[in-house]
Amino acid sequence: MYIPDINEYQLTSIVAECCGGVAVVYSALYKPNNQHVAIKRYFVDKSKEKANLIQQDILTRKELQHPNILSYLTSFVHGKELYVVSPLMSLGSCRDVLDRYFQEGLPELACAIILRDVLFALQYLHKQLYIHRSVRASHVLLDTNGCVKLSGLRSAASMMVRGRRQRQLHNLPPPDHDNANLMWLSPELLEQNLKGYDERSDIYSLGVLCCELANGAVPFSDVPTTLMFTEKVRGNRPQLLDCSSFPEPLDDGEMKNLIWNEPDGMYNTDSGVGDSADGVCRLRQVYAARKLSEPFHHLSEIALQRDPERRPSATQLLNHQFFKQIRKTDFLPSLIGRVKPIKPDANDMSALLLQEKMSEMDIEKQTEWDF
Amino acid sequence: MDPRMCRQISSSESLPDAENVEVEESNIIMPQESDDNFLLDGSPEPHSVTWLDDDQIDDLDINLDQNNLFFHRVDSADIIYRNKKKKCKMVGKYVMGDVLGEGSYGKVKEMLDSESLCRRAVKILKKRKLRRIPNGEQNVQKEIQLLRILRHKNVIELVDVMYNDEKQKMYLVMEFCVGVLQDMLESSPGKKFPQRQAHDYFTQLLDGLEYLHGQGVVHKDIKPGNLLLTLNQTLKITDFGVAEALDMFSPEDTCYTGQGSPAFQPPEIANGAETFSGTKVDIWSSGVTLYNMTTGRYPFEGDNVFRLLEAIGRAEPAPPPRCLGPALHSLLTHMLSRDPDLRPDVHQIRRHAWIQATPALEAGERLVNPRSRRSDEHHNSTVIPYLVERHYASAQEYFTERDLRHELGDNGSRTMSTAELSDGESTQCKRRWHSSCGRLPSCRLT
Repeated sequence: MYIPDINEYQLTSIVAECCGGVAVVYSALYKPNNQHVAIKRYFVDKSKEKANLIQQDILTRKELQHPNILSYLTSFVHGKELYVVSPLMSLGSCRDVLDRYFQEGLPELACAIILRDVLFALQYLHKQLYIHRSVRASHVLLDTNGCVKLSGLRSAASMMVRGRRQRQLHNLPPPDHDNANLMWLSPELLEQNLKGYDERSDIYSLGVLCCELANGAVPFSDVPTTLMFTEKVRGNRPQLLDCSSFPEPLDDGEMKNLIWNEPDGMYNTDSGVGDSADGVCRLRQVYAARKLSEPFHHLSEIALQRDPERRPSATQLLNHQFFKQIRKTDFLPSLIGRVKPIKPDANDMSALLLQEKMSEMDIEKQTEWDF
Repeated sequence: MDPRMCRQISSSESLPDAENVEVEESNIIMPQESDDNFLLDGSPEPHSVTWLDDDQIDDLDINLDQNNLFFHRVDSADIIYRNKKKKCKMVGKYVMGDVLGEGSYGKVKEMLDSESLCRRAVKILKKRKLRRIPNGEQNVQKEIQLLRILRHKNVIELVDVMYNDEKQKMYLVMEFCVGVLQDMLESSPGKKFPQRQAHDYFTQLLDGLEYLHGQGVVHKDIKPGNLLLTLNQTLKITDFGVAEALDMFSPEDTCYTGQGSPAFQPPEIANGAETFSGTKVDIWSSGVTLYNMTTGRYPFEGDNVFRLLEAIGRAEPAPPPRCLGPALHSLLTHMLSRDPDLRPDVHQIRRHAWIQATPALEAGERLVNPRSRRSDEHHNSTVIPYLVERHYASAQEYFTERDLRHELGDNGSRTMSTAELSDGESTQCKRRWHSSCGRLPSCRLT
């Protein structure tokens, strides 16, 4: 049991800013047992509308217990802000890892381990009648012990509504600040028709995650939202990029041609990966030179099927050939060796200043949020 | 398509909005073997046929009897349809879809929020038309004011309001709903719902009313025509045009005006009382609504509005049929008490035996599904064809019924996509570029 009092925690560094500036994640030391924890600090005032989502996130996580789901330790209000304490995942999210160290995508074996663990989390969630609705690399957290944990339960929805089990849901998940979450969502979820969607929508998102982890970039990230929508509705799916799907590196002339021939000429290759022409060429060469295994391609294809009825369940996917390559001795952190863990930085002035400011603040009666 | 929307006009008429009408069978190209091979749409031939919506018909003044329609017998396989261009139109950040419904004030269309991809409905109000309706403009202003402060899962949410001064139009962006209880009743056997279904809707109506009355708002026009359903069967009270916010400092809920629909008006309004209790008006109207949903009839009927109001003002309501069972019978009788003081309030209704126990679905009874304007049981987004037009410039211009059936069978969606049709082989070919996917930088490059 972690004590819900800011004075028991020594903030050590800033890990990330998230939710469009509504929250900041710090790493901290929990003084009573010298454990490293992550503290997410929400500026509740800035997000009046979202307060109930934060509450939903905490309630859901309190209810769930699984080694591959980020657990909830405690939460408390201090001053005007809400603090939520979770275990520290010191390698950060898969999105961070891709952006900083693996712009061309993670090694296949690392993808396999991560996807398997995400599937364990989904298998559990679906059994508990939850749909996650935001499976994406930024919600998959890694640590130096090789743990993979799924977070982002704020958008999760229960299939139990007013005590009755629903066969399908119809609503979009709550919008995030820049609507980026839509890129991972299944066509049937985005369609919002009477057929609705169920837990197999998460399997589609897992397929998008496959491509994100393997290719480095998020599929559809560089096209207008409405085009992403029609592409999905028409059954066009993203794919893993290697020599089979990406046969000949095009020369510069051809490439320009392609770019100029975009409908409306309005899409640029602003993928956040290789904005410079050099970067693009380098990525192309990497893709064209590598070969991803047949089972990996197959897994992403069956997960990304347009018809949810034909998509396998999390349990079925766990038996997929692709995961047979994982051996007990494979250790995720050594597969992605370049990634440096978050280290408490004694010189991180901002964190220290903040700590000081906090101790100056009038300490109101500390109360744990009682849900 | 609604037959009322089909009218013949001469080809010389200009049709500013005709592109927005759905894919139309009227644009028929006759098969080659017949010599009178002509293109109907926009061609100089005198037999041009174009489909209009009510709005355009209003604007035209044509004696229909003078026009004749010719029907040539043609095998359906020989008919080639022209893909009516769905010109994509944006209002603010919203992409316009098809018409969902029409009212005296203007149209309701589907829209898609291009940023969040959330389906929306928009009520388009034309100043010109509003002026023709008594209190039209004031009612709309009042409705906007009220909806801005109301927030409840059983009250329609006003998402956005946009104005176009040039076109003299106002756009009220609302939550998307799939159907109106009124339309569902009209399409169901006996024009009524099984008690189980009526119970579900009525309890949601009570939730909404309890909230409204708690906020000091009287709706004054509760009826199946103002109760909408969302995709997940959540009931939404809509149309606050004649609603009234009560004086917050007055202990009474006194109202002075009633402008609701005649068949749902209580005796005190029918008799022209100067003041009356506002909340009890809603109770009466909800009673008539429940009566109507469970019996398919009204407690009062009349040949015209005058007779109807006379009956409501003087007579006793037609007793609910015995077959409804004693619980529902007593609830209806209680709610339809002539004396407003004897009518129960929302809390009392909640405790009633019929509300407390969910009625079972009896043998042979089937739940009524929300009816679609189009023959699309899944209520797919009508915005998709417009988006396809926008994003895939090379959409196929002509197609046959076989293509259409093939496509509907394959995807179950109405997208006029041609990539799948013409490129069927390549999609089967393993991991070859999907025709349109290849144009996407995200798939091509990253």
